[in-house]
Amino acid sequence: MRGLLILSVLLGAVLGKEDFVGHQVLRISVADEAQVQTVTELEDLEHLQLDFWRGPARPGFPIDVRVPFSSIQAVKVFLEAHGIRYRIMIEDVQSLLDEEQEQMLASQSRARSTSTFNYDTYHTLEEIYDFMDLLVAENPQLVSKLQIGNSYEGRPIYVLKFSTGGSNRPAIWIDTGIHSREWITQASGVWFAKKITEDYGQDAAFTAILDNMDIFLEIVTNPDGFAYTHSKNRLWRKTRSLTSGSSCVGVDANRNWDAGFGMSGASSSPCSETYHGKSANSEVEVKSVVDFVNDHGNIKAFLSIHSYSQLLLYPYGYKTESPSDKDELDQVAKSAVAALSSLYGTEYKYGSIITTIYQASGGSIDWTYNQGIKYSFTFELRDTGRYGFLLPASQIIPTAQETWLALLTIMEHTLNNPY
Amino acid sequence: MTAVAHVTPRLLLLLALLRLPIRRRSAGKVRASPPRPEARLLLRASYNLSSHLPGITIHDLRVCVSPHSLPGTLPLTAPHVEKALPSPLSSGTQINQKKERKVDLVFTTELYNPEEGNKRLGKCSARVFFRNEKPRPAVNVTCAQLIEKKKRHEKDYQLYKRMKQLQNPVDVVSIPDNHGHIDPSLKPIWDLAFLGSSYVMWEKTTQFLHYYMAQLSRVKQWKTNDDAIDFGYTVLLHEFSTQEIIPCHIHLVWYPGKPLKVKDHCQEPHTPEEASGTEEGSAVAPTELSNF
Repeated sequence: MRGLLILSVLLGAVLGKEDFVGHQVLRISVADEAQVQTVTELEDLEHLQLDFWRGPARPGFPIDVRVPFSSIQAVKVFLEAHGIRYRIMIEDVQSLLDEEQEQMLASQSRARSTSTFNYDTYHTLEEIYDFMDLLVAENPQLVSKLQIGNSYEGRPIYVLKFSTGGSNRPAIWIDTGIHSREWITQASGVWFAKKITEDYGQDAAFTAILDNMDIFLEIVTNPDGFAYTHSKNRLWRKTRSLTSGSSCVGVDANRNWDAGFGMSGASSSPCSETYHGKSANSEVEVKSVVDFVNDHGNIKAFLSIHSYSQLLLYPYGYKTESPSDKDELDQVAKSAVAALSSLYGTEYKYGSIITTIYQASGGSIDWTYNQGIKYSFTFELRDTGRYGFLLPASQIIPTAQETWLALLTIMEHTLNNPY
Repeated sequence: MTAVAHVTPRLLLLLALLRLPIRRRSAGKVRASPPRPEARLLLRASYNLSSHLPGITIHDLRVCVSPHSLPGTLPLTAPHVEKALPSPLSSGTQINQKKERKVDLVFTTELYNPEEGNKRLGKCSARVFFRNEKPRPAVNVTCAQLIEKKKRHEKDYQLYKRMKQLQNPVDVVSIPDNHGHIDPSLKPIWDLAFLGSSYVMWEKTTQFLHYYMAQLSRVKQWKTNDDAIDFGYTVLLHEFSTQEIIPCHIHLVWYPGKPLKVKDHCQEPHTPEEASGTEEGSAVAPTELSNF
């Protein structure tokens, strides 16, 4: 059908500036020979200017016809009067053509290198995955791409590994986009990836970090949800897994970890935005990370990035009891927030999840902390509600820049305080 | 639930949304923690609080007071304000035996449209009452030193004219767009929608539930005989503690100088369709506004 569409367009171009605004493509279902005949008669009415993409043949075989705007009423009345069933396959041919045109232009302007990549705009999943490949190709000594699993809908889940050598060095983990609607996080993740390759060898403090530790960066932690925010619902938060016995879709990936799973601070209703899932790690997106962390065995800092609220949080979310390292974590958070603010004056608050934001059970950093990963933090990036999830793209780079300073603070502390 | 609001100049119309340290309901018990010295505040003020906020007009009253303000705006935590402008009122919350939560705050207001300069409008103090964990907190606000009446009415009328000039019906989808962008020509729509939405958010706010306006997902504008702006839209509200997205159909009628009339119908959360509903539930067509 695509081919036929293009053909129409070409013909249109040849015949001179034809456009297809308001044209519809109808699929006609003919039940018997008589109906086939009737539709064939339509073909003969030249003034209707019908363009049969799939002409009348036999009963049971659909007939596809492009109908110019001016003929639509007449054709539909005609079909209905004869009791011939039809449905609208394409509501507006021109819109479809415009969309295709856009897509073609977009793919033509696909970045050829990470230097021409646009960091101050939001990208699709495909664009981000392309970016990853470009980054690896440009920095083969420093960056590699690992696939840690496949999403519920079968999309590959990738983690970028930044390493200057060694064998299973102590590592920093950063994830963005576990909640798909928090677009500023994936966008920041992309920026972080580029930043790492820029600063290594240039910035002394950061070079020291990467000379001794590895960094793992998972930019799109929830690829199904992310694709869905582009295609259908910009405010989708959860995974896209199906729950048997419910027509509601998706699990809150940050209520699905095995820390206080199912306790207060998550919902047992599949239709809820904070649905915890049927069991801990039921979501493959979560299980993939859990397996990775367990297999690696040497992760020393685990940083999960969310939006919005401008907060830096440490465990716990599921219980009020303080983590035993509370004082140290609080100090680190305080320094990190100060570093963040130093750039643009953006104000953050910090504290444990449960006292600072709300009770939340089954969260990632509670699990990682309980596994012994002391420096477990969650970020809530800009803003504080004015734009919320729909943060203007112009704020991507400033947000990423200031957040990076906080990340650096935590990474440095991790480097200087081995355990 | 459907609500028809008749918001008159006489009524207190500070649409205060108080974002307090969220009280977690741990297994149904009421936490007996000490009142916090600094409440987290998010205050949205709206149209014509003439008796309590002399002469604020629709144009300048969408005020955001937030402790976590964006760079370039005025940081307005209550403690911060106290440092800058010493005030006898501290900010605090108190819970009494009657399960009323009272919050005092001091803040300054600023123009919502920063393009017109970051003018400080004036200093305000407010007291907010939540009773029995119910929504629609009672709010008492007093402000001093606001822009003069004439200028404000001018601005109101400018907004009115811009709305009138927009093609009718407006029939626009998604403001801001998915990338957070609002076309300047559509800004008046956002402004007006924000006002109506503020009222609806206030109607639903409790000390546990607080809302933000995430996106306008559909906009329609009708004409009325008396030249008022008759404006219908669907707004997606984001409730923070549950993270739910709540679509609300709002219908407002506005004429500068007259009270804003707001009618709303919000979808219950947990409808069987997508949880972050952009689906229209029962699309409520506004009924004849015969009493307007």
